Amino acid sequence: MLAASISLILISGIVLYLIRPERVAWAGWLAALPPLAVTVWQVSAASSGTLTGELYDAFHAEQYQWIEALGLALHFRLDGLSLLFGVIISGVGAAVALYTHYYLENDERQGYFYLALFAFMASMLGLVWADNLLTLFVFWEGTSVTSYLLIGYTHRSAIVRGGARNAFIVTAAGGLALLAGLILLGQESGSYTISEIVTRPGLTELELYPAILVLILLGAFTKSAQFPFHWWLPGAMAAPTPASAYLHSATMVKAGIYLLARLHPALSEHPMWLWSLLIFGGITMLIGAITAVRYWDMKALLAYATVSQLGVLTTLLAFRSEAALLAVVVGILAHALYKGPLFLVAGIVDHATGSRDLRKLAGLRHSLPATSAVAIIAALSMAGLPPLFGFVAKEALLETFFESAEHGAVAGWIAFGAAAIAGAFFVTFSLTLLWEAFWRPGSKDATVSTSSEGAGPVGPTPIHHAPAAPFVAAPLILVACGTVAPFALQPLSFFFEAAASSIYGETVHKHAALWHGFTPVLLTSLLAIAAGAWLFLNRSLLRRSLARLPERLRGVVIFQGVLDGMYALAQVTARFSQGYTLASQSAIVLLAAFLPVVVALRQIQLNDLIPTADVLPGAPETILILMTVVSAYVTIRVRTRLGAIVSLGVVGVSVTLFYVFFSAPDLALTQLLIEVLTVVLLVLVFTKLPPDTRPPLQRLKQTRNVLVALAAGAFGFFLVLFNRSGAFQAAQSISGYFLNNSVPSGHGANVVNVILVDFRGFDTMGEITVLALAALGGYALLNAPRVNLPSARSARPESNFATERDRTISETESDTTESEPTKETE
Amino acid sequence: MPELYLRLLNRILTPVLLLLAIYLLLRGHNLPGGGFIAGLMAAAAFQLQILSRGHDRVRSAIGPYLNSGIGLGLAVAICAGVVGLFEGTFFKGLWFKLNLPLLGYLELGTPVIFDLGVFLVVVSVATSFLLGLSRVSESAVIIGEGSVSPDLTDDPAFDPMETAGETSREVES
Repeated sequence: MLAASISLILISGIVLYLIRPERVAWAGWLAALPPLAVTVWQVSAASSGTLTGELYDAFHAEQYQWIEALGLALHFRLDGLSLLFGVIISGVGAAVALYTHYYLENDERQGYFYLALFAFMASMLGLVWADNLLTLFVFWEGTSVTSYLLIGYTHRSAIVRGGARNAFIVTAAGGLALLAGLILLGQESGSYTISEIVTRPGLTELELYPAILVLILLGAFTKSAQFPFHWWLPGAMAAPTPASAYLHSATMVKAGIYLLARLHPALSEHPMWLWSLLIFGGITMLIGAITAVRYWDMKALLAYATVSQLGVLTTLLAFRSEAALLAVVVGILAHALYKGPLFLVAGIVDHATGSRDLRKLAGLRHSLPATSAVAIIAALSMAGLPPLFGFVAKEALLETFFESAEHGAVAGWIAFGAAAIAGAFFVTFSLTLLWEAFWRPGSKDATVSTSSEGAGPVGPTPIHHAPAAPFVAAPLILVACGTVAPFALQPLSFFFEAAASSIYGETVHKHAALWHGFTPVLLTSLLAIAAGAWLFLNRSLLRRSLARLPERLRGVVIFQGVLDGMYALAQVTARFSQGYTLASQSAIVLLAAFLPVVVALRQIQLNDLIPTADVLPGAPETILILMTVVSAYVTIRVRTRLGAIVSLGVVGVSVTLFYVFFSAPDLALTQLLIEVLTVVLLVLVFTKLPPDTRPPLQRLKQTRNVLVALAAGAFGFFLVLFNRSGAFQAAQSISGYFLNNSVPSGHGANVVNVILVDFRGFDTMGEITVLALAALGGYALLNAPRVNLPSARSARPESNFATERDRTISETESDTTESEPTKETE
Repeated sequence: MPELYLRLLNRILTPVLLLLAIYLLLRGHNLPGGGFIAGLMAAAAFQLQILSRGHDRVRSAIGPYLNSGIGLGLAVAICAGVVGLFEGTFFKGLWFKLNLPLLGYLELGTPVIFDLGVFLVVVSVATSFLLGLSRVSESAVIIGEGSVSPDLTDDPAFDPMETAGETSREVES
């Protein structure tokens, strides 16, 4: 059923692509059905209880063979943690699928978006259901690729392309580290099955444990936007809003959290785990919470809020108590249920007013009442105000940290302090979002304020496109779930406990609660709310001081610097290894081929190289040699181009004759044809060129060229001698094998051809691929109206900071490039 | 008047060369020949066409098929390799014996199909270079009437590609 569900989602994506959903009115509802079905199935599978009756065990498991030779198997397993994530993925997925149809109305590429979205959903489900490290990795990479497609949906904008590229580079690099980590883990623990690994004791005592931990953390931190990789997430906000809501709040960014939770029993029993998660999670939590209020774009603000929330979850996973794991589980669900709707609301506001800028929005509660109601509940939940779900989650996590601190753990105090500070800022940016977009009245006659403070009078934002009812229904359903949840904690506790137990590895007996009584934690919580409210009132001061932070400290800027450095390095390498003139390039290639042979030749005795009398050339060969040498000399001495071409042709034909003498007809034919083609081509090109009036070469360069030529000649000479030497002849020759097997297994009498297409067919495959690439390069070079030397400017793809002007220029350039050949044909 | 002879030669030789190319391709597995040689032979036939009829007409006739020819050749070669997967490994040769009414006894195998892919790639690559270079050489004449390129390289340019780059750069300036 698990594999069938993944296939169902994938196939629905293809179907949606084919029916052209932008023309079908009910496409949104149709799209919501498959994820909904998967949700229902998961819940029903879970309600029948686990396989062994223990809460931490799986509800359902499936195994398929994939590539037996590599030991790859498709293992799927549905336990409490997978159920939690699976329900969020398919449930939020259903709401987003409905929403997308209205967000992208009349967009011709809606089908494409659905295809990518459902492919992403399938990868994500596979990721959380996988019970094999390598299966998990395959789906992990699947989410990276599909999220790249989703972020880059409006690919005509340079900013969107930059955001998608940055997100992809970071997550793909993390993916590589993760693969290394998973393989190390699999090899060291002796199993690739996750459910077996987590029950295996003593993994933290392994010598390679630090390496495994660092590699896996790299993968998880890049995916879940932890410091110092947190900046890709706000950059990825260039995605269409349904993708932001789905990928960047509810699902994909939680994949890292999922991985940490999944491997928690195996790896967490070590101080390194505690401190690395605590430090990076804590920094992420604070950076996200403090800087969120600085951004005017609703989506950017929400993105930083998400970064902060992910930091909170990471910090929680640093601890090993039952309470911590329960807090993680509650936090994940609460976050999905308030952050998802907020993103969706941002999309509706954008759709209705044409702006997401907090400076331009005001009084939306009058013009978009239903949307505003959703936003208000969700934002108050984000602020952690009682009695909303966000409050339950916040209490659970503060309780956990406080409990740990009470036991005298320094880590507990650090986490508690950071969480309290972050909690205050959560209140600040939630209130800011609410007040500025939805609540503040806005004066009637005011024009749009342009001051950077945004404090000036703003008129109520006019609505030019009222949202359709199902459009608002999607976030509404999610918020309704989130609102009911705190009062339904009793029925939900099975769900939470199953998830927490499967992280913990034993059954967890702890319940989330709305009311814990008057505790120091509640006091802290109230103080944080008060501090947050005070900061909200002084938010312009906060914004001013945040704006004073230097630009070059931003992650994106640093990353762009690293990228630029790589391009510069590549250019230096290219200049060094290829040179700019034909002479220097051939010198480099020849010498590079020469060196390894010299090293190899040093292994044998020099007197072995002295040839025996029987290899001395006879009369016909001597004549050919003389002919070759003389015509080669004429080639460099003759003053006219035509003369040089002809004598070069003579060199080639003499070599062809050599092949004929030594009975290699295939080589001779090839060489002859190549000679004919080159000579005709050179005549064609060179006779039409203007006469050569360049001054003769400098003495130094001439000497260099002669030396390189001599070296190449000597290389060939010694290679042939070596071929005839005793040492080489004594080694076992492969020719016998080819000669003996050509007819029986190759079915061909022409051994050369059989080697080319059968014995060494793979090599030939590579060669023709290289030929094809060379032809593409030549095509571009020969058909371009002008050829640019590589420079820093042109070699670099557009960055985040490329302006609109840059884009138009590059587009016109490519236009002319493409149109040129067409003109020629006409 | 040399044009006339060239055209006459072209009329006679092009079909001969193309037939020869096919012949070389088909017999390649047992006698000298094969995809690479056959591809070059066919390219020589097209070269003759370019010389006698001008590159424009050749380009309009076969130009659009060249890039697809490269892709098709690669695809054929890969498919020939993939077929082997059914019998064990990638690139394992499979042979079928056919008894055709007219041609008689024929032995056909995936390596032969692979060779066909090589032929397609080689002929398309070589012809596309020939076409491109003959166009560049023509534009070089136009440039050559005005200015003379003074500081090209430090080498007597024997590489047409290099020259192509240089002349084009001049257009820019």
